[in-house]
Amino acid sequence: MAETPEGIALSLSPAGPLARTLAFMIDTLAKIALWFACQTLRSFMGGPGTAFVLVSFFAIEWIYPIAFELAMGGATPGKRALGLQVVMDSGLPVTPAASITRNLLRAADFLPMLYAFGVVSMLLRRDFKRLGDLAAGTIVVHATPVSLHAELPPAASVAPARALSLREQAAIVSWAGRAASLTAERLDELARLARPVTRGAAEREAGAQTAQAGGDAAALLGVAQWLIGRREKDAS
Amino acid sequence: MTPIRFEAENSALWRELEEGLDRFERVPPDLSRLGLGAGRPQPAEVDAARLSALYRRCCEHLSLAQARAYPIGLIQRLQALTYRAHRLIYRRRDYGVARLKRLALVEVPQSVRAQRSYLLVAVLLFVVPALLVGWATYRDPQFALHVLDAPQLARFKSMFGSGAEALRPARTPEFDWSMFGFYIMHNIGLGFQCFAGGLFAGLGSAFYLAYNGAFNGAIAGYLTEDGEALNFYAFVLTHGAFELTAIVLSGAAGLRIGHALVAPGRRQRLEAVKHAAAEAMALIYAVFAFLVVAAAIEAFWSSAQWVPPQVKLAVGALAWTVMLAYLGWQGRPRSKKAA
Repeated sequence: MAETPEGIALSLSPAGPLARTLAFMIDTLAKIALWFACQTLRSFMGGPGTAFVLVSFFAIEWIYPIAFELAMGGATPGKRALGLQVVMDSGLPVTPAASITRNLLRAADFLPMLYAFGVVSMLLRRDFKRLGDLAAGTIVVHATPVSLHAELPPAASVAPARALSLREQAAIVSWAGRAASLTAERLDELARLARPVTRGAAEREAGAQTAQAGGDAAALLGVAQWLIGRREKDAS
Repeated sequence: MTPIRFEAENSALWRELEEGLDRFERVPPDLSRLGLGAGRPQPAEVDAARLSALYRRCCEHLSLAQARAYPIGLIQRLQALTYRAHRLIYRRRDYGVARLKRLALVEVPQSVRAQRSYLLVAVLLFVVPALLVGWATYRDPQFALHVLDAPQLARFKSMFGSGAEALRPARTPEFDWSMFGFYIMHNIGLGFQCFAGGLFAGLGSAFYLAYNGAFNGAIAGYLTEDGEALNFYAFVLTHGAFELTAIVLSGAAGLRIGHALVAPGRRQRLEAVKHAAAEAMALIYAVFAFLVVAAAIEAFWSSAQWVPPQVKLAVGALAWTVMLAYLGWQGRPRSKKAA
Protein backbone atom coordinates (compact mmCIF):
# COMPACT_ATOMS: atom_id res chain seq x y z
CA MET A 1 0.00 0.00 0.00
CA ALA A 2 1.28 3.42 -0.87
CA GLU A 3 -0.44 6.63 0.06
CA THR A 4 -0.53 9.54 -2.33
CA PRO A 5 -0.56 13.23 -1.37
CA GLU A 6 -4.24 13.20 -2.32
CA GLY A 7 -4.89 10.83 0.57
CA ILE A 8 -5.79 7.75 -1.40
CA ALA A 9 -4.10 4.42 -0.93
CA LEU A 10 -2.70 2.76 -4.05
CA SER A 11 -2.36 -0.97 -3.68
CA LEU A 12 0.87 -2.44 -5.04
CA SER A 13 1.17 -6.17 -5.61
CA PRO A 14 4.69 -7.24 -4.56
CA ALA A 15 6.38 -9.95 -6.61
CA GLY A 16 7.42 -13.08 -4.75
CA PRO A 17 10.72 -14.98 -4.74
CA LEU A 18 9.70 -17.39 -7.49
CA ALA A 19 8.87 -14.74 -10.09
CA ARG A 20 11.96 -12.78 -9.15
CA THR A 21 14.21 -15.82 -9.34
CA LEU A 22 12.89 -16.60 -12.81
CA ALA A 23 13.48 -12.98 -13.85
CA PHE A 24 16.98 -13.20 -12.40
CA MET A 25 17.70 -16.34 -14.39
CA ILE A 26 16.57 -14.71 -17.62
CA ASP A 27 18.77 -11.72 -16.84
CA THR A 28 21.70 -14.01 -16.13
CA LEU A 29 21.24 -15.69 -19.50
CA ALA A 30 21.07 -12.27 -21.16
CA LYS A 31 24.26 -11.24 -19.39
CA ILE A 32 26.04 -14.39 -20.51
CA ALA A 33 24.89 -13.74 -24.08
CA LEU A 34 26.17 -10.15 -23.88
CA TRP A 35 29.44 -11.41 -22.53
CA PHE A 36 29.86 -13.81 -25.43
CA ALA A 37 28.99 -11.00 -27.83
CA CYS A 38 31.75 -8.90 -26.27
CA GLN A 39 34.20 -11.77 -26.56
CA THR A 40 33.34 -12.12 -30.23
CA LEU A 41 33.80 -8.39 -30.84
CA ARG A 42 37.15 -8.59 -29.10
CA SER A 43 38.64 -10.66 -31.86
CA PHE A 44 37.83 -7.90 -34.36
CA MET A 45 39.23 -5.13 -32.21
CA GLY A 46 42.82 -6.20 -31.89
CA GLY A 47 44.85 -4.28 -29.31
CA PRO A 48 42.32 -2.52 -27.07
CA GLY A 49 40.09 -5.59 -27.23
CA THR A 50 41.18 -6.89 -23.84
CA ALA A 51 40.39 -3.58 -22.22
CA PHE A 52 37.05 -3.54 -23.99
CA VAL A 53 36.20 -6.97 -22.65
CA LEU A 54 37.23 -6.11 -19.11
CA VAL A 55 35.36 -2.81 -19.08
CA SER A 56 32.27 -4.40 -20.57
CA PHE A 57 32.50 -7.21 -18.04
CA PHE A 58 32.36 -4.59 -15.33
CA ALA A 59 29.48 -2.84 -17.09
CA ILE A 60 27.51 -6.05 -17.50
CA GLU A 61 28.00 -6.88 -13.84
CA TRP A 62 27.17 -3.51 -12.27
CA ILE A 63 25.67 -1.16 -14.85
CA TYR A 64 23.30 -3.53 -16.69
CA PRO A 65 20.52 -3.57 -14.07
CA ILE A 66 20.84 0.15 -13.29
CA ALA A 67 20.74 1.18 -16.94
CA PHE A 68 17.71 -0.95 -17.72
CA GLU A 69 15.82 0.06 -14.61
CA LEU A 70 16.28 3.73 -15.37
CA ALA A 71 15.79 3.65 -19.13
CA MET A 72 13.18 0.95 -19.62
CA GLY A 73 10.48 1.85 -17.11
CA GLY A 74 11.93 0.12 -14.08
CA ALA A 75 12.48 -3.34 -15.52
CA THR A 76 15.45 -5.36 -16.70
CA PRO A 77 14.65 -7.65 -19.64
CA GLY A 78 14.07 -10.55 -17.25
CA LYS A 79 11.64 -8.55 -15.14
CA ARG A 80 9.90 -7.30 -18.26
CA ALA A 81 9.44 -10.85 -19.50
CA LEU A 82 7.68 -11.74 -16.24
CA GLY A 83 5.71 -8.51 -16.02
CA LEU A 84 7.66 -7.20 -13.02
CA GLN A 85 8.69 -3.65 -12.34
CA VAL A 86 10.83 -1.83 -9.79
CA VAL A 87 9.06 1.14 -8.22
CA MET A 88 9.63 3.34 -5.19
CA ASP A 89 7.68 2.53 -2.02
CA SER A 90 5.38 5.38 -3.01
CA GLY A 91 4.55 3.68 -6.31
CA LEU A 92 6.51 6.29 -8.26
CA PRO A 93 9.08 5.45 -10.95
CA VAL A 94 12.41 4.38 -9.49
CA THR A 95 14.92 7.25 -9.11
CA PRO A 96 18.57 6.99 -10.19
CA ALA A 97 19.83 7.15 -6.59
CA ALA A 98 17.47 4.38 -5.48
CA SER A 99 18.31 2.20 -8.46
CA ILE A 100 22.03 2.59 -7.81
CA THR A 101 21.59 1.84 -4.10
CA ARG A 102 19.57 -1.30 -4.64
CA ASN A 103 21.90 -2.64 -7.28
CA LEU A 104 25.13 -1.89 -5.43
CA LEU A 105 23.75 -3.48 -2.28
CA ARG A 106 23.24 -6.59 -4.38
CA ALA A 107 26.75 -7.39 -3.14
CA ALA A 108 25.36 -7.64 0.40
CA ASP A 109 22.36 -9.71 -0.70
CA PHE A 110 24.66 -12.14 -2.41
CA LEU A 111 26.51 -13.04 0.78
CA PRO A 112 27.35 -15.54 2.15
CA MET A 113 26.57 -17.39 -1.08
CA LEU A 114 23.94 -17.57 -3.84
CA TYR A 115 21.90 -14.60 -2.62
CA ALA A 116 21.22 -16.32 0.70
CA PHE A 117 20.67 -13.09 2.66
CA GLY A 118 18.51 -11.69 -0.11
CA VAL A 119 16.26 -14.75 -0.21
CA VAL A 120 15.95 -14.94 3.58
CA SER A 121 15.05 -11.27 3.70
CA MET A 122 12.44 -11.79 0.96
CA LEU A 123 10.87 -14.73 2.74
CA LEU A 124 10.69 -12.94 6.08
CA ARG A 125 8.82 -9.94 4.72
CA ARG A 126 5.31 -9.61 3.41
CA ASP A 127 6.46 -7.27 0.65
CA PHE A 128 9.32 -9.55 -0.50
CA LYS A 129 12.08 -6.97 -0.28
CA ARG A 130 15.70 -7.95 -0.37
CA LEU A 131 18.28 -5.97 1.61
CA GLY A 132 19.00 -3.64 -1.31
CA ASP A 133 15.30 -2.86 -1.65
CA LEU A 134 15.05 -2.11 2.06
CA ALA A 135 17.86 0.42 1.99
CA ALA A 136 16.80 2.03 -1.28
CA GLY A 137 13.11 2.19 -0.43
CA THR A 138 12.13 0.33 -3.58
CA ILE A 139 9.82 -2.59 -4.17
CA VAL A 140 9.44 -5.06 -7.02
CA VAL A 141 5.80 -5.30 -8.10
CA HIS A 142 3.70 -6.98 -10.73
CA ALA A 143 3.23 -4.20 -13.26
CA THR A 144 -0.36 -5.12 -14.09
CA PRO A 145 -2.21 -6.67 -11.16
CA VAL A 146 -4.26 -9.78 -11.89
CA SER A 147 -7.96 -9.09 -11.80
CA LEU A 148 -10.27 -11.89 -10.74
CA HIS A 149 -13.31 -9.70 -11.07
CA ALA A 150 -15.10 -9.22 -14.36
CA GLU A 151 -18.26 -7.44 -15.33
CA LEU A 152 -21.35 -8.79 -13.64
CA PRO A 153 -23.14 -11.39 -15.79
CA PRO A 154 -26.54 -10.23 -17.03
CA ALA A 155 -29.59 -11.27 -15.05
CA ALA A 156 -33.06 -9.98 -14.43
CA SER A 157 -32.81 -7.58 -11.52
CA VAL A 158 -34.54 -8.69 -8.35
CA ALA A 159 -34.97 -6.77 -5.11
CA PRO A 160 -33.50 -8.53 -2.03
CA ALA A 161 -35.95 -10.00 0.50
CA ARG A 162 -34.66 -7.79 3.28
CA ALA A 163 -32.54 -4.67 3.74
CA LEU A 164 -28.81 -5.44 3.38
CA SER A 165 -25.89 -3.89 5.21
CA LEU A 166 -23.05 -2.36 3.20
CA ARG A 167 -20.82 -5.36 3.89
CA GLU A 168 -23.47 -7.78 2.72
CA GLN A 169 -24.03 -5.78 -0.43
CA ALA A 170 -20.30 -5.73 -1.16
CA ALA A 171 -20.05 -9.49 -0.60
CA ILE A 172 -22.90 -10.24 -3.00
CA VAL A 173 -21.57 -7.91 -5.71
CA SER A 174 -18.04 -9.35 -5.45
CA TRP A 175 -19.47 -12.84 -5.63
CA ALA A 176 -21.31 -11.92 -8.83
CA GLY A 177 -18.14 -10.36 -10.26
CA ARG A 178 -16.36 -13.70 -9.93
CA ALA A 179 -19.14 -15.62 -11.66
CA ALA A 180 -17.08 -16.08 -14.81
CA SER A 181 -14.09 -17.62 -13.01
CA LEU A 182 -15.95 -20.01 -10.68
CA THR A 183 -17.58 -23.29 -11.65
CA ALA A 184 -21.36 -23.30 -11.79
CA GLU A 185 -21.53 -25.75 -8.86
CA ARG A 186 -19.33 -23.64 -6.61
CA LEU A 187 -21.24 -20.53 -7.60
CA ASP A 188 -24.48 -22.20 -6.63
CA GLU A 189 -23.02 -23.54 -3.39
CA LEU A 190 -21.98 -20.04 -2.36
CA ALA A 191 -25.33 -18.62 -3.41
CA ARG A 192 -27.11 -21.10 -1.13
CA LEU A 193 -25.52 -19.32 1.87
CA ALA A 194 -27.49 -16.24 0.86
CA ARG A 195 -30.87 -17.98 0.75
CA PRO A 196 -32.43 -15.71 3.39
CA VAL A 197 -31.83 -12.85 0.95
CA THR A 198 -33.08 -14.54 -2.21
CA ARG A 199 -35.77 -16.93 -0.92
CA GLY A 200 -38.40 -14.33 -0.27
CA ALA A 201 -37.74 -12.67 -3.58
CA ALA A 202 -37.70 -15.93 -5.49
CA GLU A 203 -40.95 -17.01 -3.99
CA ARG A 204 -42.55 -13.70 -4.85
CA GLU A 205 -41.38 -13.99 -8.43
CA ALA A 206 -42.05 -17.62 -9.15
CA GLY A 207 -44.74 -18.35 -6.60
CA ALA A 208 -43.01 -21.64 -5.78
CA GLN A 209 -39.70 -22.86 -4.35
CA THR A 210 -36.98 -22.96 -7.01
CA ALA A 211 -35.85 -26.55 -6.94
CA GLN A 212 -33.76 -26.90 -10.10
CA ALA A 213 -29.97 -26.65 -10.00
CA GLY A 214 -28.57 -23.12 -10.31
CA GLY A 215 -31.74 -21.59 -9.00
CA ASP A 216 -30.00 -20.00 -6.03
CA ALA A 217 -27.23 -18.59 -8.19
CA ALA A 218 -29.64 -17.13 -10.73
CA ALA A 219 -31.69 -15.47 -8.00
CA LEU A 220 -28.61 -14.05 -6.28
CA LEU A 221 -27.26 -12.70 -9.59
CA GLY A 222 -30.55 -10.86 -9.92
CA VAL A 223 -30.06 -9.37 -6.46
CA ALA A 224 -26.52 -8.31 -7.43
CA GLN A 225 -27.87 -6.54 -10.50
CA TRP A 226 -30.42 -4.81 -8.31
CA LEU A 227 -27.68 -3.75 -5.89
CA ILE A 228 -25.51 -2.09 -8.52
CA GLY A 229 -28.54 -0.09 -9.52
CA ARG A 230 -30.17 -1.86 -12.45
CA ARG A 231 -33.93 -1.76 -12.26
CA GLU A 232 -36.39 -3.46 -14.55
CA LYS A 233 -38.39 -0.87 -16.49
CA ASP A 234 -41.74 -2.10 -15.29
CA ALA A 235 -40.67 -2.68 -11.69
CA SER A 236 -39.81 0.91 -11.02
CA MET B 1 -26.10 6.88 -6.04
CA THR B 2 -25.85 3.44 -7.57
CA PRO B 3 -22.66 2.11 -9.18
CA ILE B 4 -24.23 2.13 -12.62
CA ARG B 5 -25.23 5.78 -12.41
CA PHE B 6 -21.83 6.64 -10.93
CA GLU B 7 -20.07 5.00 -13.83
CA ALA B 8 -22.39 6.54 -16.42
CA GLU B 9 -21.91 10.04 -15.03
CA ASN B 10 -18.14 9.91 -14.70
CA SER B 11 -16.83 7.57 -17.35
CA ALA B 12 -16.40 10.41 -19.85
CA LEU B 13 -14.07 12.09 -17.39
CA TRP B 14 -12.09 8.89 -16.83
CA ARG B 15 -11.75 8.38 -20.55
CA GLU B 16 -10.45 11.90 -20.99
CA LEU B 17 -7.84 11.26 -18.30
CA GLU B 18 -6.88 7.98 -19.94
CA GLU B 19 -6.39 9.66 -23.31
CA GLY B 20 -4.37 12.48 -21.75
CA LEU B 21 -2.13 9.95 -20.02
CA ASP B 22 -1.65 8.04 -23.25
CA ARG B 23 -0.43 11.17 -24.97
CA PHE B 24 1.84 12.27 -22.11
CA GLU B 25 3.41 8.88 -21.63
CA ARG B 26 4.47 8.75 -25.23
CA VAL B 27 6.58 11.88 -24.81
CA PRO B 28 10.14 11.01 -23.78
CA PRO B 29 10.70 12.36 -20.28
CA ASP B 30 13.53 14.85 -20.40
CA LEU B 31 15.56 14.48 -23.55
CA SER B 32 14.90 18.09 -24.47
CA ARG B 33 16.73 19.17 -21.34
CA LEU B 34 19.81 17.33 -22.47
CA GLY B 35 19.53 18.97 -25.85
CA LEU B 36 18.79 15.66 -27.55
CA GLY B 37 15.06 15.77 -28.12
CA ALA B 38 14.84 19.14 -29.84
CA GLY B 39 13.20 17.70 -32.93
CA ARG B 40 10.59 15.71 -31.08
CA PRO B 41 7.02 16.95 -30.79
CA GLN B 42 6.35 18.48 -27.40
CA PRO B 43 3.04 17.83 -25.66
CA ALA B 44 1.75 21.28 -26.41
CA GLU B 45 -1.72 19.99 -27.22
CA VAL B 46 -2.06 18.33 -23.81
CA ASP B 47 -3.08 20.68 -21.07
CA ALA B 48 -1.14 19.72 -17.93
CA ALA B 49 -3.40 21.75 -15.64
CA ARG B 50 -6.47 19.99 -17.03
CA LEU B 51 -4.75 16.65 -16.54
CA SER B 52 -3.98 17.27 -12.88
CA ALA B 53 -7.54 18.51 -12.29
CA LEU B 54 -8.84 15.31 -13.84
CA TYR B 55 -6.45 13.33 -11.69
CA ARG B 56 -7.74 14.91 -8.50
CA ARG B 57 -11.35 14.24 -9.51
CA CYS B 58 -10.39 10.66 -10.22
CA CYS B 59 -8.82 10.34 -6.74
CA GLU B 60 -12.10 11.58 -5.27
CA HIS B 61 -14.04 9.03 -7.27
CA LEU B 62 -11.75 6.26 -6.09
CA SER B 63 -12.27 7.16 -2.43
CA LEU B 64 -16.02 7.35 -2.95
CA ALA B 65 -16.09 4.02 -4.74
CA GLN B 66 -14.06 2.40 -1.96
CA ALA B 67 -16.18 3.90 0.82
CA ARG B 68 -19.43 2.84 -0.85
CA ALA B 69 -18.18 -0.67 -1.61
CA TYR B 70 -18.80 -0.44 -5.34
CA PRO B 71 -18.03 -3.47 -7.52
CA ILE B 72 -14.38 -4.48 -7.28
CA GLY B 73 -13.93 -4.33 -11.03
CA LEU B 74 -14.85 -0.65 -10.98
CA ILE B 75 -12.54 0.08 -8.04
CA GLN B 76 -9.67 -1.71 -9.76
CA ARG B 77 -10.20 0.28 -12.91
CA LEU B 78 -10.07 3.53 -10.94
CA GLN B 79 -7.02 2.33 -9.03
CA ALA B 80 -5.15 1.53 -12.22
CA LEU B 81 -6.04 4.92 -13.60
CA THR B 82 -4.98 6.90 -10.53
CA TYR B 83 -1.80 4.84 -10.28
CA ARG B 84 -0.81 5.73 -13.84
CA ALA B 85 -1.60 9.39 -13.33
CA HIS B 86 0.23 9.43 -10.00
CA ARG B 87 3.37 8.01 -11.59
CA LEU B 88 3.23 10.59 -14.32
CA ILE B 89 2.44 13.65 -12.23
CA TYR B 90 4.83 13.04 -9.36
CA ARG B 91 7.79 11.71 -11.34
CA ARG B 92 10.99 13.61 -10.84
CA ARG B 93 12.36 15.42 -13.82
CA ASP B 94 15.40 17.23 -12.53
CA TYR B 95 18.03 15.05 -14.13
CA GLY B 96 20.48 16.32 -16.67
CA VAL B 97 23.58 18.40 -17.04
CA ALA B 98 22.60 21.07 -14.52
CA ARG B 99 21.91 18.46 -11.87
CA LEU B 100 25.21 16.72 -12.60
CA LYS B 101 27.09 19.99 -12.29
CA ARG B 102 25.46 20.79 -8.97
CA LEU B 103 26.24 17.29 -7.77
CA ALA B 104 29.93 17.55 -8.63
CA LEU B 105 30.48 21.14 -7.51
CA VAL B 106 28.33 21.36 -4.41
CA GLU B 107 26.62 18.23 -3.18
CA VAL B 108 29.48 15.74 -3.19
CA PRO B 109 32.00 17.80 -1.21
CA GLN B 110 29.26 19.06 1.07
CA SER B 111 28.01 15.63 1.94
CA VAL B 112 31.56 14.39 2.43
CA ARG B 113 31.99 17.11 5.05
CA ALA B 114 28.59 16.32 6.52
CA GLN B 115 29.78 12.75 7.13
CA ARG B 116 33.08 13.82 8.63
CA SER B 117 32.81 11.70 11.77
CA TYR B 118 32.34 8.54 9.72
CA LEU B 119 35.11 9.70 7.43
CA LEU B 120 37.43 10.09 10.39
CA VAL B 121 36.66 6.57 11.61
CA ALA B 122 37.13 5.21 8.09
CA VAL B 123 40.46 7.01 7.72
CA LEU B 124 41.64 5.63 11.06
CA LEU B 125 40.48 2.14 10.18
CA PHE B 126 42.51 2.36 7.00
CA VAL B 127 45.58 4.28 8.13
CA VAL B 128 46.27 2.66 11.50
CA PRO B 129 46.56 -0.91 10.17
CA ALA B 130 48.53 0.44 7.21
CA LEU B 131 51.04 2.19 9.47
CA LEU B 132 51.29 -0.67 11.95
CA VAL B 133 51.76 -3.35 9.33
CA GLY B 134 54.02 -1.08 7.30
CA TRP B 135 56.24 -0.41 10.28
CA ALA B 136 56.32 -4.06 11.31
CA THR B 137 57.22 -5.09 7.77
CA TYR B 138 59.89 -2.44 7.57
CA ARG B 139 61.46 -3.79 10.74
CA ASP B 140 61.10 -7.42 9.67
CA PRO B 141 60.25 -8.12 6.02
CA GLN B 142 59.05 -11.58 7.00
CA PHE B 143 56.05 -9.92 8.65
CA ALA B 144 54.55 -9.18 5.23
CA LEU B 145 53.84 -12.88 4.89
CA HIS B 146 51.13 -12.55 7.53
CA VAL B 147 49.12 -10.44 5.09
CA LEU B 148 50.23 -11.53 1.62
CA ASP B 149 51.44 -14.86 0.36
CA ALA B 150 54.89 -15.29 -1.07
CA PRO B 151 54.03 -15.31 -4.82
CA GLN B 152 52.10 -12.04 -4.45
CA LEU B 153 55.05 -10.49 -2.69
CA ALA B 154 57.43 -11.71 -5.35
CA ARG B 155 55.18 -10.22 -8.05
CA PHE B 156 55.14 -6.80 -6.38
CA LYS B 157 58.90 -6.96 -5.91
CA SER B 158 59.43 -7.68 -9.58
CA MET B 159 57.03 -4.88 -10.57
CA PHE B 160 59.03 -2.22 -8.79
CA GLY B 161 62.46 -3.76 -8.69
CA SER B 162 65.06 -1.39 -10.12
CA GLY B 163 66.63 -4.16 -12.15
CA ALA B 164 63.32 -5.09 -13.67
CA GLU B 165 63.12 -2.17 -16.06
CA ALA B 166 65.95 -3.50 -18.12
CA LEU B 167 64.47 -6.97 -18.35
CA ARG B 168 60.84 -6.11 -18.93
CA PRO B 169 59.77 -5.42 -22.50
CA ALA B 170 58.60 -1.85 -23.07
CA ARG B 171 54.93 -1.41 -22.26
CA THR B 172 52.74 -1.20 -25.30
CA PRO B 173 49.58 0.93 -25.58
CA GLU B 174 47.56 -2.29 -25.81
CA PHE B 175 48.93 -3.39 -22.47
CA ASP B 176 48.06 -0.04 -20.90
CA TRP B 177 44.51 -0.39 -22.15
CA SER B 178 44.08 -3.87 -20.82
CA MET B 179 45.43 -2.77 -17.44
CA PHE B 180 42.88 0.06 -17.51
CA GLY B 181 40.13 -2.49 -18.04
CA PHE B 182 41.46 -4.63 -15.24
CA TYR B 183 41.64 -1.72 -12.80
CA ILE B 184 38.08 -0.64 -13.64
CA MET B 185 36.69 -4.10 -13.11
CA HIS B 186 38.68 -4.96 -10.01
CA ASN B 187 38.92 -1.72 -8.07
CA ILE B 188 35.40 -0.43 -8.57
CA GLY B 189 33.95 -3.78 -7.59
CA LEU B 190 36.11 -3.59 -4.46
CA GLY B 191 34.85 -0.11 -3.66
CA PHE B 192 31.23 -1.17 -4.02
CA GLN B 193 31.78 -4.17 -1.77
CA CYS B 194 33.27 -1.89 0.83
CA PHE B 195 29.97 0.05 0.77
CA ALA B 196 27.68 -2.98 0.73
CA GLY B 197 29.54 -4.44 3.71
CA GLY B 198 28.02 -1.63 5.75
CA LEU B 199 24.68 -3.43 5.79
CA PHE B 200 26.17 -5.92 8.24
CA ALA B 201 26.26 -3.44 11.10
CA GLY B 202 29.26 -1.75 9.49
CA LEU B 203 31.50 -4.72 10.22
CA GLY B 204 31.92 -5.56 6.54
CA SER B 205 33.09 -2.04 5.74
CA ALA B 206 35.40 -1.97 8.73
CA PHE B 207 36.92 -5.28 7.71
CA TYR B 208 37.48 -4.20 4.10
CA LEU B 209 39.02 -0.92 5.20
CA ALA B 210 41.37 -2.54 7.71
CA TYR B 211 42.29 -5.33 5.32
CA ASN B 212 43.06 -2.95 2.48
CA GLY B 213 45.05 -0.78 4.85
CA ALA B 214 47.09 -3.73 6.09
CA PHE B 215 47.62 -4.98 2.53
CA ASN B 216 48.90 -1.66 1.26
CA GLY B 217 50.94 -1.13 4.39
CA ALA B 218 52.63 -4.49 3.99
CA ILE B 219 53.59 -3.77 0.38
CA ALA B 220 54.83 -0.28 1.19
CA GLY B 221 56.86 -1.46 4.17
CA TYR B 222 58.36 -4.36 2.29
CA LEU B 223 59.39 -2.36 -0.75
CA THR B 224 60.72 0.52 1.33
CA GLU B 225 62.88 -1.85 3.30
CA ASP B 226 63.98 -3.37 0.01
CA GLY B 227 65.21 -0.01 -1.25
CA GLU B 228 62.61 0.48 -3.97
CA ALA B 229 60.94 3.39 -2.20
CA LEU B 230 61.36 5.92 -5.00
CA ASN B 231 59.92 3.69 -7.72
CA PHE B 232 57.07 2.54 -5.55
CA TYR B 233 55.92 5.90 -4.25
CA ALA B 234 56.26 7.50 -7.66
CA PHE B 235 53.97 4.79 -8.99
CA VAL B 236 51.42 4.93 -6.20
CA LEU B 237 51.18 8.57 -5.21
CA THR B 238 49.17 10.05 -8.09
CA HIS B 239 46.42 7.51 -8.50
CA GLY B 240 46.44 6.88 -4.77
CA ALA B 241 45.00 10.35 -4.34
CA PHE B 242 41.87 9.10 -6.07
CA GLU B 243 41.89 5.43 -5.23
CA LEU B 244 42.62 5.59 -1.52
CA THR B 245 40.18 8.48 -1.13
CA ALA B 246 37.53 6.45 -2.92
CA ILE B 247 38.06 3.38 -0.75
CA VAL B 248 37.90 5.46 2.42
CA LEU B 249 34.79 7.28 1.17
CA SER B 250 32.96 4.09 0.31
CA GLY B 251 33.96 2.67 3.68
CA ALA B 252 32.61 5.82 5.35
CA ALA B 253 29.33 5.43 3.44
CA GLY B 254 29.14 1.82 4.57
CA LEU B 255 29.85 2.81 8.18
CA ARG B 256 27.10 5.42 7.97
CA ILE B 257 24.61 2.71 7.02
CA GLY B 258 25.93 0.31 9.62
CA HIS B 259 25.65 2.94 12.33
CA ALA B 260 22.06 3.71 11.33
CA LEU B 261 21.30 0.01 11.64
CA VAL B 262 22.87 -0.38 15.08
CA ALA B 263 21.78 2.95 16.55
CA PRO B 264 18.76 4.21 14.62
CA GLY B 265 18.14 7.11 17.01
CA ARG B 266 14.58 8.38 16.98
CA ARG B 267 13.68 6.69 13.69
CA GLN B 268 12.56 3.16 13.13
CA ARG B 269 15.51 0.96 12.27
CA LEU B 270 14.47 0.51 8.65
CA GLU B 271 13.67 4.18 8.18
CA ALA B 272 17.06 5.05 9.63
CA VAL B 273 18.85 2.78 7.14
CA LYS B 274 16.92 4.26 4.22
CA HIS B 275 17.74 7.75 5.39
CA ALA B 276 21.42 6.86 5.78
CA ALA B 277 21.56 5.27 2.34
CA ALA B 278 20.06 8.37 0.77
CA GLU B 279 22.59 10.55 2.58
CA ALA B 280 25.49 8.32 1.62
CA MET B 281 24.50 8.34 -2.06
CA ALA B 282 26.54 11.41 -2.99
CA LEU B 283 29.60 9.67 -1.56
CA ILE B 284 28.99 6.68 -3.79
CA TYR B 285 28.80 8.87 -6.89
CA ALA B 286 32.15 10.31 -5.86
CA VAL B 287 33.59 6.83 -5.27
CA PHE B 288 32.58 5.76 -8.73
CA ALA B 289 34.03 8.83 -10.43
CA PHE B 290 37.26 8.72 -8.42
CA LEU B 291 37.83 5.05 -9.12
CA VAL B 292 37.41 5.53 -12.87
CA VAL B 293 39.90 8.41 -12.76
CA ALA B 294 42.24 6.35 -10.60
CA ALA B 295 42.10 3.44 -13.02
CA ALA B 296 42.93 5.71 -15.95
CA ILE B 297 45.85 7.31 -14.11
CA GLU B 298 47.15 3.99 -12.87
CA ALA B 299 47.09 2.46 -16.33
CA PHE B 300 48.43 5.35 -18.41
CA TRP B 301 50.42 7.64 -16.13
CA SER B 302 51.67 5.79 -13.06
CA SER B 303 53.25 3.08 -15.15
CA ALA B 304 54.68 5.34 -17.85
CA GLN B 305 58.41 4.82 -17.91
CA TRP B 306 59.32 7.96 -19.86
CA VAL B 307 58.36 10.14 -16.88
CA PRO B 308 61.11 10.51 -14.26
CA PRO B 309 59.98 9.47 -10.76
CA GLN B 310 60.59 12.96 -9.40
CA VAL B 311 58.01 14.42 -11.79
CA LYS B 312 55.55 11.72 -10.83
CA LEU B 313 56.07 12.52 -7.16
CA ALA B 314 55.43 16.21 -7.82
CA VAL B 315 52.26 15.46 -9.80
CA GLY B 316 51.16 13.08 -7.09
CA ALA B 317 51.60 15.74 -4.43
CA LEU B 318 49.61 18.13 -6.59
CA ALA B 319 46.84 15.54 -7.01
CA TRP B 320 46.61 15.06 -3.25
CA THR B 321 46.48 18.81 -2.68
CA VAL B 322 43.73 19.24 -5.24
CA MET B 323 41.78 16.32 -3.86
CA LEU B 324 41.93 17.51 -0.27
CA ALA B 325 41.11 21.06 -1.29
CA TYR B 326 38.14 19.83 -3.30
CA LEU B 327 36.74 17.81 -0.43
CA GLY B 328 37.60 20.46 2.14
CA TRP B 329 36.55 23.71 0.53
CA GLN B 330 34.57 23.17 -2.67
CA GLY B 331 30.89 23.92 -2.42
CA ARG B 332 30.97 26.02 0.76
CA PRO B 333 28.63 28.98 0.61
CA ARG B 334 30.35 32.33 0.04
CA SER B 335 31.55 33.86 3.26
CA LYS B 336 29.81 36.99 4.47
CA LYS B 337 32.85 39.17 3.88
CA ALA B 338 32.94 38.33 0.21
CA ALA B 339 29.23 38.83 -0.28
